Amino acid sequence: MSQSTTTRIRRAAAIAAVAAVGVSLAACSGGASGSGSGSGGGSSAKEPQSFTFAFSEANTKDNSLEQVATAFEKLHKGVKITIQKLPAESVGQAIATRVQGGNAPDVFAAESGIGQVNAIQPWAKAGLLLPITDPAVTTALKPAGLSQFQYGGKTYAVSRGSGLNGIIWNADAAKSIGVNLTDSSTFQDVLSGCAAAKAKGKSLFGLAGAVPPNPGILAQIIATSTVYGPDQNWNTERAAGKVKFATTAGWKQALEAIQTMYKQGCFQPGATGAGFDALTNGASSGQFFGFFAPGGAAASVNAASGGHVHLTVLPLPSPSGTTYASVSSDQVVAASAKTKSPKLVQQFLSYIAGPDGQKVVSVGVGYPVGTKDASALPDTYKPVASILTSPNVRSFPSIEWTNGKISNDLGAGVQGILTGQKTVAQVLDQLDTDWG
Amino acid sequence: MSATQSRVRATAPGRGATAQIPSRRRSKRVGYGYWWWSLPALVLTIVTVYITTASGAFFAFTNWTGVGTFDFVGITNFVNIFKTPELIGALVNTLVLAFGFVVLTNVFGLLFALALNRTLKTRYLLRTLVFMPVVLSPVAVSFIWKFIFDFNGPLNQILGAVGLKSLQTAWLASPSLAIVCILVVLVWQSIGFVMVTYLAGLATVPPELEEAAALDGAGVWRRFRSVTVPMIQPSIAIATTLTLIQGLRVFDQVMALTGGGPSHATETLATEIYNQTFTYQQFGFGAAMALVLSVLILVFTVVQQSITRDRSQIGD
Repeated sequence: MSQSTTTRIRRAAAIAAVAAVGVSLAACSGGASGSGSGSGGGSSAKEPQSFTFAFSEANTKDNSLEQVATAFEKLHKGVKITIQKLPAESVGQAIATRVQGGNAPDVFAAESGIGQVNAIQPWAKAGLLLPITDPAVTTALKPAGLSQFQYGGKTYAVSRGSGLNGIIWNADAAKSIGVNLTDSSTFQDVLSGCAAAKAKGKSLFGLAGAVPPNPGILAQIIATSTVYGPDQNWNTERAAGKVKFATTAGWKQALEAIQTMYKQGCFQPGATGAGFDALTNGASSGQFFGFFAPGGAAASVNAASGGHVHLTVLPLPSPSGTTYASVSSDQVVAASAKTKSPKLVQQFLSYIAGPDGQKVVSVGVGYPVGTKDASALPDTYKPVASILTSPNVRSFPSIEWTNGKISNDLGAGVQGILTGQKTVAQVLDQLDTDWG
Repeated sequence: MSATQSRVRATAPGRGATAQIPSRRRSKRVGYGYWWWSLPALVLTIVTVYITTASGAFFAFTNWTGVGTFDFVGITNFVNIFKTPELIGALVNTLVLAFGFVVLTNVFGLLFALALNRTLKTRYLLRTLVFMPVVLSPVAVSFIWKFIFDFNGPLNQILGAVGLKSLQTAWLASPSLAIVCILVVLVWQSIGFVMVTYLAGLATVPPELEEAAALDGAGVWRRFRSVTVPMIQPSIAIATTLTLIQGLRVFDQVMALTGGGPSHATETLATEIYNQTFTYQQFGFGAAMALVLSVLILVFTVVQQSITRDRSQIGD
């Protein structure tokens, strides 16, 4: 293969990577369960056999939602699903505006919980979402943690699948400079890898430091091991006021670990001011070998590269003690309470939550909710099969946080730590203030 | 009494004045015409500006989240604004950007206007070049400058090429430099607009007056201070007012260049209003901040108007 061809492939893969990262990072947290009531649409025997379905795609190969719609149409003759593709950068805001403005699509992509601008629970509370009455949906969602999809005991969304939040890793390229990270690597291995990459004039990781979700997801990935590994109920205890960010050693360790990585040159030069475009340039030029994102990004990049790139997913080794994998199922599909086809829409959501639908739709996220068999995991997840089927798995931390400002300030706070604006203690104090 | 009033009164007789009907009809048509003509615009303005503003002000005293019901919380939102350090920082940044913007755009705009006012043969071409950034989209301009300020961007590459590698930095990630970078972009794009405003003012200064002052022995600075500045006072008032308002509500450039970062170091009131309202869905709190910003703009504009008003007209 010629150099120019290789460069073109790398560039195409990198562009796809960044688009995938953008979408994935925008979809990386959820919220908490609540109580109350929501309104729902009724059913009618003569309701229209068509509905609109709005979502975004990271690239042309990231079409799992479109495929699940097509599969549903094939199963139900006469049903017409009108796809509305929205820009990936603003999909959350666009859907939030439409739902709150009473102009929601019949069915749309959203986030579970409460912690994002397009999270479902505030809308469910306001009666804007269609409750899902099919008990099979509730059963299917249970392995992912039912509370994030519910409000007032009713289910309002179905998951697109489960995925690991970690390192999107180019193992082949890293091996070329003698770095080999696996799910059993240590944090010291990471730092050694950083030194090895730096010696070759490269960086081990790319970081979009100027985009808060990126340093934010890094902090949460590490905290999964340092905070939620030892104390699985930390969020519950925080809600009860028994613990705080500022007084939890694991949170301090997580932020200090990022500080250490920065000082050791793990991130590309200029990482603190970098956006997703820097990830594009860095990945296309082989400047670094991994970045931090939800695992669906790996499959999306691989598909977009036409098989020329083989990215996999890895957990980031814990800076202290056991490494835990951060797994979430927070990318969801929900429906408007105002839909004129509530019965048909419920059938569609049931299909997505069911085994056939999950098989199609989960490709864009990772793997079907409730997957326990390691052999059923997609190729990108093979390197982490052992940890995913072990007890060392925790949910993504912010899913149960009380609002989106906490995760946003965590990301901005990490940037502040790296630029010297803030101390670890100041950032943790801010998170406690945000919690309310 | 104006001529119009006289005419209306003269052609508006009482009932039964049949002899003057044609005149009365014409008069009514004209009279009602004035009123009706302004009605659509008036209604539109009231509905889209004043009622919506009043609604926004109403929600500033609530805890509305954008959906569902809300409670009145009195002045709690306003108290919280001034108790939140990051919002105080946003207020300071807003003022720094606004006053820096007013001073720099007006100083450079006036210098360009003076330089390109008369003598230069290429002045029309140069005026076009200086004015060109004004017609570009602020967001597009900001993204171009973001590329320039990027760590791997042209600015650092030029510094490296001329042997100033030690000055290379992540410009937009530096807490102290990021706000300067935003100010540079704001000023660069608006100099042309201010220059045109001053050129219009300078066109009203008679060359004979300056020549007479020169014959009387006035130097360049004295002629500028005693002849030019008083003559372009209306232009100064307009340019400073518009740039002050523009500076106080700066949003696009901040969002495109830094997104309010690094770590909230360049947040302004406008970006915080957006964050609180649309990102965190605190509509009531966002409305309170918007009200504060509106009052701030009103106060500073009134103060600025009183400073720059043409005092030679007082007593006329």
